[in-house]
Amino acid sequence: MNYPVWQLSSAGGGLLIAAMAVFHVYIAHFAVGGGLFLVMTEIKGLRDNSTAILDYVHRHAKFFLLTTMVLGGMTGVGIWFTISLLSPAATSTLIHNFVFAWAIEWLFFVGEIVALFVYYYTFGRMNHRDHLRVGWLYFIFAWLSLFVINGVIGFMLTPGAWLTTHNFWDGFFNPSFWPALCLRTTLALMLAGLFGFVTATAIREEEVREQLVRYCALWLLAPFALFLASAYWYATGLPQPLHTLIFRRAPEIVPYVRTFVVVSPLLFAGGLLMAIRLPGRIKRPLAVIMLLLGLVYMGSFEFIREGGRRPYLIYDHTYSTSIAKADVPRLQEGGFLASARWVKNRQVTDKNRLAAGREVYNNLCLPCHSIGGPMHDILPLTAHDTPLSLDARLRGMGRGDTFMPPFAGNATDRAALVAFILQGLHARPPLPLPAPLNLAAPPAAAPLPFDPQKDDYVLLAWPEFGLNEATDADHLFGLLPAGNQLNAQLIRRGKSPQVVTDGVTLSVRYHGRATALTQQEGVFSATITPLAASVPGQEGYQPYPLVIVEARQETSGKLIAITQTVLPVFTDLGCRNCHGGPWRQANRAGLSDATANNILAAHDRLSHTDLLARAKAGKPAACRECHADPRFAAPGESSRINLSAALHGFHALYTGGHQGSAACHLCHATDPRGASRAFRGVHQAVGLDCVNCHGTMVDNAISLLRPEVEAGKAEASRLFDQLAHASTTPASAIKPRRPWVNEPDCLTCHQAFGAPESDTAFNGWNHQKNDLFRNRFDESGSLRCAACHNSAHALYPAASPYGANRDDLVPLQYQSTSYPIGSDRGCPVCHREEMKDEMHHANSLREMRNRE
Amino acid sequence: MDPAALVPTPDTIPVAWGWFQFLLMLTFVLHLLVMNAMLGSGIIALVTHWTHPDGSPAICRLTAGKLTYLIAFAVNFGVAPLLFLQVLYGQFLYTSSVLMAWHWLAVIALLILAYGAAYLYALKYKPLGRARSGVLWLVVLPLLLIGFIFSNNMTLMLRPDAWRQYFDQPNGTLLNLADPTLFPRYLHMIIGAIAIGGLFLALMARYQLHESPHNTEKSVSTGLNWFAIATLVQFWIGAWLLAVQPAPIRTLLLGGSPLATTFLALAVAGGLAAMLLALSRRLIPTVAVAVLTVILMPLVRDLMRRASLAPYFAPADLTMAAQTQYGLMILFFILLLVTVAIIVYLLRLAAVATREEVC
Repeated sequence: MNYPVWQLSSAGGGLLIAAMAVFHVYIAHFAVGGGLFLVMTEIKGLRDNSTAILDYVHRHAKFFLLTTMVLGGMTGVGIWFTISLLSPAATSTLIHNFVFAWAIEWLFFVGEIVALFVYYYTFGRMNHRDHLRVGWLYFIFAWLSLFVINGVIGFMLTPGAWLTTHNFWDGFFNPSFWPALCLRTTLALMLAGLFGFVTATAIREEEVREQLVRYCALWLLAPFALFLASAYWYATGLPQPLHTLIFRRAPEIVPYVRTFVVVSPLLFAGGLLMAIRLPGRIKRPLAVIMLLLGLVYMGSFEFIREGGRRPYLIYDHTYSTSIAKADVPRLQEGGFLASARWVKNRQVTDKNRLAAGREVYNNLCLPCHSIGGPMHDILPLTAHDTPLSLDARLRGMGRGDTFMPPFAGNATDRAALVAFILQGLHARPPLPLPAPLNLAAPPAAAPLPFDPQKDDYVLLAWPEFGLNEATDADHLFGLLPAGNQLNAQLIRRGKSPQVVTDGVTLSVRYHGRATALTQQEGVFSATITPLAASVPGQEGYQPYPLVIVEARQETSGKLIAITQTVLPVFTDLGCRNCHGGPWRQANRAGLSDATANNILAAHDRLSHTDLLARAKAGKPAACRECHADPRFAAPGESSRINLSAALHGFHALYTGGHQGSAACHLCHATDPRGASRAFRGVHQAVGLDCVNCHGTMVDNAISLLRPEVEAGKAEASRLFDQLAHASTTPASAIKPRRPWVNEPDCLTCHQAFGAPESDTAFNGWNHQKNDLFRNRFDESGSLRCAACHNSAHALYPAASPYGANRDDLVPLQYQSTSYPIGSDRGCPVCHREEMKDEMHHANSLREMRNRE
Repeated sequence: MDPAALVPTPDTIPVAWGWFQFLLMLTFVLHLLVMNAMLGSGIIALVTHWTHPDGSPAICRLTAGKLTYLIAFAVNFGVAPLLFLQVLYGQFLYTSSVLMAWHWLAVIALLILAYGAAYLYALKYKPLGRARSGVLWLVVLPLLLIGFIFSNNMTLMLRPDAWRQYFDQPNGTLLNLADPTLFPRYLHMIIGAIAIGGLFLALMARYQLHESPHNTEKSVSTGLNWFAIATLVQFWIGAWLLAVQPAPIRTLLLGGSPLATTFLALAVAGGLAAMLLALSRRLIPTVAVAVLTVILMPLVRDLMRRASLAPYFAPADLTMAAQTQYGLMILFFILLLVTVAIIVYLLRLAAVATREEVC
């Protein structure tokens, strides 16, 4: 931001530094261990009085000189050049804070060069004692160089107390200093053996060759245990967040950790093999293979260390975008383009949107993501993105993807970047605003007849879940089964009506199949599953299927009451908005295999699971196997957060920034322009939306996370911490709730069942499951609230998008209005006469307030 | 766009800027001497190969023997001034480097090529035969290119008004070719390197050639001639460089700043004196005066740099860090003394070993 960005494309994403660094670091470690190797081997030659060994040392010293000076020394300078080109701001921080460390390291470098020149060019010409002394001095200088560099490199990963004190020594002797020094020193010794193979296998005399190859193998193998112990010390000594990131969270580090683990025994076995007497024609190529293996080994360690630092260049201080952590809030507020020094397009217009997006990309993406290159190529990573999903991913950076820095810009920057990636890089046309779907309404449904004079029974029926979503990809994973529960109450009419529970049988007919209802506490119910979003005689997506409910005398089988209601099932969940893939059904609903697979892949990547493989093997997992789901009384695994908290907590990181209920509509079947438009009751008609009862997505997520945080679950705390600052209500003031147990309580607004005194039910949870609207009874204790008002999200009068009457068939049948049963003093529906007492609940004897 | 708006905000410094200025000058002079010896001797040897295609002139043998050391130390002694330059002028240097990033990074590849070729030239001098000059081209040409890249960067960093080109060419391929000072400045450095290279070869011939006095003195004379001729040419190049300087800088050097004018006058006088001493074949006095001149030139150069950047910045503007590092600086100076002592010890051991072998 402070500096111009070198606009690379395929060579971006850190390719240059990766190539330069791995190569240099490999040789630089050899330059340390190899120095000791030279001295010790020379001592061995002198002790054994072996000219052959001394000749070998001389030849190896030449190889050592050329390798370390020409390639090692120059690429060392190369790293410096490269980082100053790719990350000038971070380089400047390192230079200015550690200038004397660098200067001291330079002194040691001078000493190293002089000592090595003297050592090589006086080989065999200086007395042995002095020559060995020169060798020792070389090794001491080289190791001291390592000592200094180790402090600065370690600082970048674990700056420790420096972050607050800015004291040189705090940064230098940082938390990973000593284990890293141990690790690097032992590695340097091992590399001495590895490089030694190259020259030792070239010796012509077999005896000498075998002797020295075995000697080199000893150098490789002897420090191995100490090296692995150092690696363990290093790994376990890392601060907890880093340890978690490297070994549990960051998916991109996994292959490098695996490589490190796999190559360790390979190197050891290779060392043993080299120690065995084998023909030179085998050992020579084997030495080269071992050298390459060592490079892979070194590379994997460096990638783990570099990867572990993500998303920082200097941990907790400077992000990989060279933007200081402290500057991010300011940039998110004021905008990146408006604040950056080296951008041309400060204002974004339709004309310059792509150019401005490119500038955002250059600064905020290119440091890690090449365009068409080998390093984290942005093209495949965004190939399936939509503007919405890409925007969500950008919003989730630094929170869901903690190995990415937070997006250091505002909505304008984000929109420009999305346009650049999708239109500029993927050459996609700009998407027009989606138009509302045209719904194919099924044949109009008429209420069944009811004769208030002759009929003795009223049969009230309603779905358990008015907003009943289903994920129809159970062959890949199970989240929400495609079923719904039908509830009914049978009332014998009269001055004192009675809820009938005995001597009758109730059944529900769905698609010609009858299912018996069972009774409990005066409520008959049956679960219909599978329930398809279809209607006989009507093609396409039909999420409001009708069911017929019948009540018959048990003994005679005589039909005494019949009614009709919808039993909705919604499959137009918006997973594909971000996870890509097509719809499964009628181009408007259903979770396609592609979407489901992408979801599983994302879960596998972020949580190190194998759900996709399981699904492909025909053994799909259900989310509630691991994540508790009180709706289905699934206990899950005690260490994991419950399903609702996980889904809302995680996704809020990405989509929580969308305004109001727009965030809800991205996932739920409630989008007023979508295929289900599931929120359709009276609350929708009076202009309320999801947020009035559930709060914003972030607030809702926090309410769900809080019990899990209090239960000490680390993942909950991580999500909570990420979200807390974005809540509209102070996070500490949001009351914890258990999903499906503590939900918005109607009486929060409708105090004493009166007209609402507020339009916010958020944070006013009912205390127990029985208090839920769907489980609650009236004050007489006989009728369920939902029997007269219908289920939540579809409260009478409900305007079904698939035919205005469709959700209101029951009240239309019994009272010719779509208002709740008994409204407008409709007591005669059950009582056959006007009533004076408000026995069901206060304020029940009055005119309907919200008339159509 | 105001060029000043493009100048990045510098970081704080841990000790007073004057210390870094001192260290910058000290280490840059070291680098300059070794770099000049490296490049100059390389060019001279190349020309000598051209004029003596079948022979193995002493000048070339001397160059072959020293080039790898010279490259190693030129690079090594270049690290320190580049470090201190970044401390004082990082916001300018990083920016100009990014603007010409591919060229700047190419320095490393060119260096590896030159260094590798120098080892080939040194270690396979005899077997190479007539191919020597070809190999030496692989040393000298990359080094000349590196010099040109450095000249570009060191001039581009002084010109924030030229940085706006970045917006039309952000892929790191800019050069500062439109700057009228670029080519005279580059030639000034190259000709200076040839002069010092000649002097270096004369010194080496005098003390390390181990040939007949006649041959030795012939080589010494050759080296001194190279020095004298290059210095003579340098007066023209220097005048050209002065003429193309922006008016404020030129004024500064021609009386505007007593300090800058004095330094320049002394340097010119030094060059003239050294040239005359060389022509009179007085090697050591020539070396002494030439080294003094080389010390003066970076001082002039530094004053010019400061004047160029004056509209934007002065090192004295740098803010001191809350946590200063004077203790660490003292440690650095102590370690500097210890390292120098050890190096002297190592060189003495080497000298003794070489002497014993000769004996």
